[in-house]
Amino acid sequence: MRTLGVFELTGCGGCALNIIFLYNKLFDVIQLYKIKEFHMASSYREEGSLDVALVSGSVSTQRDLEILRRARENSRFLIAIGTCATHGNMQSSLEGSMEEKLERIYGTRDNYMGALNSKPIVEYVKVDFAIPGCPYDKDELYQALILLAKGVEPVYKDYPVCVECKLNEYECVLVKRGIPCLGPLTVGGCNAICLRSGIGCIGCRGPLPKGVNPAGEARILKELGYDDEYIRNKYKTFSGGGLKW
Amino acid sequence: MVRVETRTFTRVEGSGSADIIIEDGKVKEVKVRLVEGPRFFELLTLGRDYYDVPDMEARICAICYLSHSIASITAIERAFEVEVTEEIELLRELGLLGELIESHSLHLYLLVSPDVFGQPDAINLAKKHWDLVKDGVTIMNFGNYIRNLIGGREIHGINAKPGGFGRYPSEEELRVIEKNFKEYVRNVVKILELFASQRPFGARFDVNIVTDKYLLGDKLMTDDGSLFDYHECIEEKALPYSFAKQSRYKGKIFMVGSLPRLLLKSKYLTPTAAEFFEGYKDLLMERYVSRNNLAQAIELIYALEKSGEIAERLLDEGISGNNVPIRPVEGEGIGYVEAPRGVLVHHYRIGEDGKIKYSNIITPTAMNHALMELSLYEEAKNNLGRMEDERVMRRLEETIRAFDPCISCSVHMVKMRS
Repeated sequence: MRTLGVFELTGCGGCALNIIFLYNKLFDVIQLYKIKEFHMASSYREEGSLDVALVSGSVSTQRDLEILRRARENSRFLIAIGTCATHGNMQSSLEGSMEEKLERIYGTRDNYMGALNSKPIVEYVKVDFAIPGCPYDKDELYQALILLAKGVEPVYKDYPVCVECKLNEYECVLVKRGIPCLGPLTVGGCNAICLRSGIGCIGCRGPLPKGVNPAGEARILKELGYDDEYIRNKYKTFSGGGLKW
Repeated sequence: MVRVETRTFTRVEGSGSADIIIEDGKVKEVKVRLVEGPRFFELLTLGRDYYDVPDMEARICAICYLSHSIASITAIERAFEVEVTEEIELLRELGLLGELIESHSLHLYLLVSPDVFGQPDAINLAKKHWDLVKDGVTIMNFGNYIRNLIGGREIHGINAKPGGFGRYPSEEELRVIEKNFKEYVRNVVKILELFASQRPFGARFDVNIVTDKYLLGDKLMTDDGSLFDYHECIEEKALPYSFAKQSRYKGKIFMVGSLPRLLLKSKYLTPTAAEFFEGYKDLLMERYVSRNNLAQAIELIYALEKSGEIAERLLDEGISGNNVPIRPVEGEGIGYVEAPRGVLVHHYRIGEDGKIKYSNIITPTAMNHALMELSLYEEAKNNLGRMEDERVMRRLEETIRAFDPCISCSVHMVKMRS
């Protein structure tokens, strides 16, 4: 049987929780994998090597970095799950020194706890696969785990949210209603679920690595009356600074 | 002086551990260290357009994202002096009930039940008690059905907005709630005795703090019924060993969560929940932290019944689906919500351009932090040296777990009112 470990760095817990939200499919996963570490769900823990490590969260403390390095050293295939791990998420979009942030929130510049400026795990270690999303789509993870157990490498989604929006025949909120929507810039795979609500995509799966046109979208948003600051904020929220124009 | 460090707590959300300080063979102090990294949400939302802020705040915590987004929305609407319709209020309440169902069933069935049967997790528990685990998964799924419907996704949906919703539930979708809730109530009734039979542990507490309605509210309330805003009576201080600050009510340690809600707000309970509350009242009135598990189980019944009641009412009256228009004005607002694990506060000052100028968030786990330390102190003092260390560590973990802490929530914390 293959072995699996789940590691949580700094985040909201959602990417580990999403594994529990596989419901009965989680019992399929444990037919194929022995879970050796998953601190949100289990008090059982076993040291040693892993076939697959799932790492969620950003590196925001010295402790996170140690957990990440241990996960990397012990695993044959490491998957970054969620936008904190893949792009750094919101916490990495905050500029300024750590001392300054600590002073503004905790009233002291002393960094007793070893906090680091947040970064995605891909900046520290090599990852073998990445599933972005805040949170990622749980079926995407499920399929990746099943494929890996069969010796097949999972493939990346290479199309924007717009593709699934069209397949669902949702109305284009950007063109038809003038609502800001980052769908054209954002990696698909979420089944355009926020467009089901008629609300523009906020880009939680991070930007597509190529073939996107942030300047073009910025032009449309400006025509709709949004200023540079608004667009910059919108673009940087989940992208870890990856969306510039 | 000896310092004993526990392992990282398991079967809780986020990363935390405890230091037990021993002097002359006696437990002197216990420090609860919440070591999850800081994410500085109060700084992240500064200067942002109000409309985008609830979706950002949701990311504070996945288990209770809708509580965060609704607290944020409420604070924004109060700053703009906007009143929403009864329909919107009802749907928000339904969403919060869904979240309570998801969170409590996860905690009770999948995270606490293994303790009762001496198992490390629900996967091992399922080998002998499959029906119990299956019921838990089914009810959690039902809670998430409601979160998906109202919130827009199981985790971090963006359907709830200032002034209403992106999309309103259909009649067919509400029927699913109406059709299923009674069966789940019967399933929860079966597990009440499991938690009622737990021995008491943790500290006893005197002061409860809740909101003045069941899940929503305009003010905070304490045992004597007096109403107040958080900054009038709750003080906070930073700790050198934790990313969470610690709160006191007029200098006193207090508790927030299911048990305080039942003790102070039982008049709101639905028939079956009220019946079991009366039946177990003596146990709950002991005010041991550990009774929070039993309180959650009774509250789970309440949430299931109440969500059925709201679905029935919405089906009877029909849904208009009208949002309330929002126009930014300069203002200040506080939103109070009872998150599954207790009182949650979001507080903003907003400019007339609709941008956030000041933000403060206080989470339930930060409010319970002092009582967590006291509870671990009691357990360590009573048991260390009297039983093997591994058992003591397990008891400390069970004690922490009874608070159902959410450590991700608690560490972005909390700025004193400037």
